[in-house]
Amino acid sequence: MRFELLRDLELLRRGWYWGQVRPEWPEPREVTPGSPSLEWARSEPVRALRWLAQRGLSLPFTRLMTRPLVEGAVWLRDQDRSMILASNHVSHADTHVLLAALPDHVRERTVVGAAADYWYRRPWLGRLISFWLNTFPFARSGGAQGVLHSSSQLLRSGWHLLLYPEGTRSPDGRLQEFKPGVGHLAGEARVPVVPIHVQGTHRVMPKGRRVPLPAPVRVRIGKPIQPEPGETSRGFARRVERMVRELGNGSRSPEVVGSWIERWRATAPGGRSRPWAERTEPRDGE
Amino acid sequence: MGRPGAVIEVDRNTPPTLFHFGEGVRLERLPLGSRVVYPPDPLPPIAHPERAIRRALAHPLDDDPLRSLLRPGMRLTIAFDDLSLPLPPMVQPDVRQLVLEEVIELAAEAGVEDVHLIVANSLHRRMTAEEIRHVVGDRVFTTFYPDRLYNHDAEDPEGNVFLGTTAMGEEVTLNRRAAESDLVVYVNLTLVPMDGGHKSLATGLGSYRSVRAHHTVHTLRNSRSYMHPPDSALHHACVRQGQLIEDAVRCFHIETAVNNHCFPALVNFMQKRETDWTGTDQAAYLALKQLTDLAPPSVKRAMFHSMRAPYGLTAVHAGQVDAVHERTLAAVERQMVVEVEGQTDIVTFGVPYLGPYNVNASMNPVLVVCMGLGYLFNLYRGRPVVRPGGVVILFHPCRYEFDSVQHPSYIDFYDEVLADTTDPAEIEARYERCFAEDPWYRQLYRRSYAYHGVHPFYAWYWAAHAMEYVGDVIVVGGERETVRRLGFKCASTLADALEMAEQTVGRHPSITHLRFPPLLLADVR
Repeated sequence: MRFELLRDLELLRRGWYWGQVRPEWPEPREVTPGSPSLEWARSEPVRALRWLAQRGLSLPFTRLMTRPLVEGAVWLRDQDRSMILASNHVSHADTHVLLAALPDHVRERTVVGAAADYWYRRPWLGRLISFWLNTFPFARSGGAQGVLHSSSQLLRSGWHLLLYPEGTRSPDGRLQEFKPGVGHLAGEARVPVVPIHVQGTHRVMPKGRRVPLPAPVRVRIGKPIQPEPGETSRGFARRVERMVRELGNGSRSPEVVGSWIERWRATAPGGRSRPWAERTEPRDGE
Repeated sequence: MGRPGAVIEVDRNTPPTLFHFGEGVRLERLPLGSRVVYPPDPLPPIAHPERAIRRALAHPLDDDPLRSLLRPGMRLTIAFDDLSLPLPPMVQPDVRQLVLEEVIELAAEAGVEDVHLIVANSLHRRMTAEEIRHVVGDRVFTTFYPDRLYNHDAEDPEGNVFLGTTAMGEEVTLNRRAAESDLVVYVNLTLVPMDGGHKSLATGLGSYRSVRAHHTVHTLRNSRSYMHPPDSALHHACVRQGQLIEDAVRCFHIETAVNNHCFPALVNFMQKRETDWTGTDQAAYLALKQLTDLAPPSVKRAMFHSMRAPYGLTAVHAGQVDAVHERTLAAVERQMVVEVEGQTDIVTFGVPYLGPYNVNASMNPVLVVCMGLGYLFNLYRGRPVVRPGGVVILFHPCRYEFDSVQHPSYIDFYDEVLADTTDPAEIEARYERCFAEDPWYRQLYRRSYAYHGVHPFYAWYWAAHAMEYVGDVIVVGGERETVRRLGFKCASTLADALEMAEQTVGRHPSITHLRFPPLLLADVR
């Protein structure tokens, strides 16, 4: 009965704008059944258990299978402030490879945006990957405001966010258009976006394959960028997309990988000069 | 303070003497009355190397402080010595890393955007990314590699410029990036007196055209020795070339010297005199000897080439090249010189597993000659330890074994050239140009990790002075066929070698054993 009541209330709410211009409500979809609260995935002792599971199993396995060659990790070395890690997406192996490529202190504070309609359709699967990879449901259609709000809350709580702004895996390995959500989020939370390009994971586990195969993988991490004053979300997302594309093309322009002086300062021992240094610790829970 | 070098006469109480034997070691009993020359103990290293480097850059010799030479908008090129120095490679941090970090920090503070780092590998093979990372350290590597940190390419027609000809007719070329820079900073590591000075830039960033000016049989036969620059025709030519470069490009030299602590703790017995060996040293020797006797060559090679030397910085000077090099040479000689009274009929020494041209590779027979009769024989000033017409007895397995990636032209040199003649002058006249200009060797040098096509010739020329000077060369423990191809005699034991030597130098010869490495410079009175 309780669920029926909720359904009725929902139907009523949809009809609230009688006599006015009706907004385009999306079709209701069971994207997050039961709206699972995932605070538990980011609280102790789950964090400690995840640390053990990743260190003991998934990281060694991923490194063994892919031997990731990481360039530009310098940009994450002394990064204390929350940031959005925006990467291209070609395979389910991307998340594992990227987590393996991140420095320890960044990985342990990284939440991964996972497609709500894919990973959270089955509650047990949602809970499993929330535990294993520290994911949270990211709606690809509908409920954008809610997702942006919760993502923004995560960033403000000191977590880093790993997102795939293409929205889905590329069918042929080529970069697809970035959705503007990454721009919205960077603007709202006022955090830098780190462009990342991962190459080779389509050989490890292309779309449609369930068993991974060993193959070398390269991860290039670019210089963090922030929206400029007056820059639209869509414009900023396009800029991130261009940087990821250039990283994939092997570009070494200062705009993408930073000038040598910036890279040198980013690696100063003891954080002598860290442009993004602004200490914030993640709070328990969120 | 360590002990200075010493010459010990062998008596009945003298313990057996250590001989290096390629990728192995052995003990030998020298005849009574023989002399053993030991290098000095390692000098104490500078306690705070970073501070010493900063001081050297702030108070250079006959030059302005480096900070005052740096400005935004300028083109800065930093060149540094390749992996042929030091031997064995140093434990991290390498001295060059410490210097590079200080120089780069100054450049960053001055806002110099256009900075390139070049490995001054001349006609040596390119260094791999991991080798470069080992030398320059992670921080420099991740900041600059690969677009601003790379190997010099002596065969790139666009990447080298002709600067002119010296008064003696030596042609001078230089890496284009260095030649077109507002300032070139050279970071050197001097292990033996032949390194550093004008030779660094003139050779390190030169091409075949400039190197061939002094790497000739005539020059090397007239460098007595090239380990003592004042008496070295090779160095005189380098000085003339270097002065021409200094006239064209603003240069700032940073030279460093290290002590002779070249073996890690596990095999520290190789560093010590046999009389100083403890029970642990004897056990370590025994274990190593058994292991190297039993293990296949690949295992021995992996084991020896993984050794890293705990060298300590003993001197760092910066500024104008002549003033800097004079001080550096003084520091190097302080570490290396041993006084030796008079020459000897027979000189013996073991050739170790490593020379400047086989880092991470096997030492092929041509390199055994280069190392034994080139580098080790020439470690003297004044006169050679052996008398004219005397005999050199080398210890090395001298197998027919080549690294096909690093030494492709060495294989053809051995198989084709040495099959015809071993006379350096004849080889130079008939074959050098053909190998030097071979397009396949050129391709392997530029794109793979091969030494230049002409390199085996230079390795052979290094020995030209010794070949002309001594009466006989005997290789103990070598492969008979290989040693014969090199033009030398082969013996199974030291006793046999001494008996064979007596046929050349007469009965009851005087014998001197040079106990290196660690390297020493014999000052023969």
